Amino acid sequence: MKLARTTLFTTLRLLTLALACATSAAYADDYGDVSQLVRAGKLDEAMVKADSYLVSKPADPQMRFLKGVIQRNLGKQAEAIATFTKLTEDYPELPEPYNNLAVLYAGQSQFDKARAALEMAIRTNPSYATAHENLGDIYARLASQAYNKALQLDGANAAVPPKLALIRELFTPNNKGQHPATAALAAAPAVPVAKPSAPAPAVATAVPAVVPSATTISAAPTKPVAGDSTAKESRDVEEAVQAWAKAWSAKDITAYLGAYGKEFDPAGQQTRSAWEAERRKRIVGKTTISVKLEKLSVTVNGAKAIARFRQDYRAGALAVSSRKTLELVKTGNRWLIVKESTGN
Amino acid sequence: MKRYFLTLFISALVGLTMSTDATARKKPATKAKPVATVGHKQVANADLAEARLMGIYQLMAKAQARDALAQAEQLVKDHPHFQLAQLVYGDLLAARTRPIRMVGDVPESMLKDGAPVLNQLRDESQMRLKALRERPPPGALPSQFLALSARNKHAIAIDASRSRLYLLENRPTGLTLIADYYVSIGKSGLSKNAEGDLRTPMGVYFITSNLDPKSLKDFYGSGALPINYPNVLDNLRGKTGGGIWLHGTPPGQFSRAPLATDGCVVLANPDLMTLIQTVEVRTTPVVISQSLKWVTPNTVRSESKPFEEALAAWQNAKSSGNMDQVLSFYSPSFNSNGKTLTEWTPALRSELNKVQGRAIQLKDLSLLRWTDTADTMVVTFGEVTGGTRTGPTKRQYWVRQGSHWKIFYEGVIG
Repeated sequence: MKLARTTLFTTLRLLTLALACATSAAYADDYGDVSQLVRAGKLDEAMVKADSYLVSKPADPQMRFLKGVIQRNLGKQAEAIATFTKLTEDYPELPEPYNNLAVLYAGQSQFDKARAALEMAIRTNPSYATAHENLGDIYARLASQAYNKALQLDGANAAVPPKLALIRELFTPNNKGQHPATAALAAAPAVPVAKPSAPAPAVATAVPAVVPSATTISAAPTKPVAGDSTAKESRDVEEAVQAWAKAWSAKDITAYLGAYGKEFDPAGQQTRSAWEAERRKRIVGKTTISVKLEKLSVTVNGAKAIARFRQDYRAGALAVSSRKTLELVKTGNRWLIVKESTGN
Repeated sequence: MKRYFLTLFISALVGLTMSTDATARKKPATKAKPVATVGHKQVANADLAEARLMGIYQLMAKAQARDALAQAEQLVKDHPHFQLAQLVYGDLLAARTRPIRMVGDVPESMLKDGAPVLNQLRDESQMRLKALRERPPPGALPSQFLALSARNKHAIAIDASRSRLYLLENRPTGLTLIADYYVSIGKSGLSKNAEGDLRTPMGVYFITSNLDPKSLKDFYGSGALPINYPNVLDNLRGKTGGGIWLHGTPPGQFSRAPLATDGCVVLANPDLMTLIQTVEVRTTPVVISQSLKWVTPNTVRSESKPFEEALAAWQNAKSSGNMDQVLSFYSPSFNSNGKTLTEWTPALRSELNKVQGRAIQLKDLSLLRWTDTADTMVVTFGEVTGGTRTGPTKRQYWVRQGSHWKIFYEGVIG
């Protein structure tokens, strides 16, 4: 039921996106370039490029989204809020602009507005893990505001806004299934790793996640070099992924962080150490965590592997089921995570 | 998440289902009022903040967390200084991220500075719940109100054990409960004895005036109704202090803890406004008791009979003009505004001379009984001598000595 609903949402979203970027594949490089400039901190340059792109395609949601991110990173809160607000009006079915709007509001301590935006993000996409996590933080913050009023405490120590996760990119058109070529490529398991410098790393792996479980399974045996060694590697990857989930559930932060390779690039503009600190806070701070993986499918290509699964995450009252994709690289005799992305 | 609510709040909210009935009972009474009291001042729509809070508790008990949260959000928006509502709102928000084990399950870090207020809010919550669970039986009245005249249009009874003020209307059909409100009393509770003891007096009083809110500090909120503490009985017992008012709350506070005042009785401003608009100065009695005893009108009638006989005997003696017989009703401890019985006797004698054996009548009689270590009666009436149309309004305080009632105060009140 839930799955069906998610799929429906996905379909609706993709339809919108397909319409919005009928020619998007041609522009994929523009998105990638802007994203990379953002990541490199060259915000002014990124803005120039985004603006010039928007001159010819003013409605383009992906580039507008990127522009909002740039504005936010430039400290132009009001402009960023305007950009994301407009996006939510034009594309109410997209959860990411709501999420980022919430991040901006939370940064201004407008927690009620942040909450409303996140609830919209979840309404448009019930399995949207980032919004769920962010919303959890907002509820906790609103609760302490209310408690401070109740107990007539000045609440000075609660003045620091919570750190919520900003979504950096809206989606990655070049990696989507709406393009016939891409769909065809998706059947070949090597594709995602064969293009390691794929410009947009991306949150949304929606289509690959829906399609591949079948395709990859059938693809693996047909692979000429597939033999016992590949099967063994595949098992090792599965074990590595399960160990990662187990460490997370056990709140074994050392083992959890140890599952990530040196090359791991956290989402957003976070440094590795900031990401680790945040993960530590979010994991150790929970009373109980349970992470269960379903429909795990693994694709191995030499020293690289991709694991896709549905992740059932529970912590306290929060229960989120979402699609996840892990990219792993074999380092010595261990498979380590180098990229983690969430989608539906 | 829903499961948390069921297990967590059930202990805190035991009996709430009963309060549903209570609230339901309460409403028709208020609604019925305008119909029954044409020509009377109407009770303005009592503020619904408490009823809304109780509605939220009920939703929580039924594990309807989402609805409860939405209503709590609206309630704190309307009443941002209603601290208990903020506390419950905080719980409902926090419940979305972690289990809530009790009302006011605040983070550990807040307990250091917040524990005293938290405990007061929990007390307030319990008192409000208790008053809604333990409703007065329908048709019953506090045992102190033996008889009220048509001039006593309303009566107030305060029950400290429930932090509750009950507002009754004196209808042709009898005394009827029309509203009740959460109140705060003295930090040290009831039974005021001395100035500065932070206690609220216990006894039978009257509202003496209605103070203009413009003349009051913000601290007193939307107004103040002083009562006549210390009364004749208090003076006889050597009690000191004064300035006991029913008043409102400061702007930054919707309601105060159950035990919070220096001796006054404090209501939320909307509730106090209703009270001010409803009651009458001088004629509205205020009974303040540790725990009210609600009795049926029949019980009241039979309990007042022995006293009414004593009063009738005094009336007959006075009508007959027999000074010795009249004096036998007065206690040796009699004191009227500083005069002993001996000092006061000449005044009584001259009154009897004026009556000249004509019958006296007692109009608009009200009888208020106060029983603690002594059994006393506060009696108010208009004394009309045969052949005249009006007379002075008098108040007497009687005390029961064995099976005899004796007057220990008598005076004209207007």
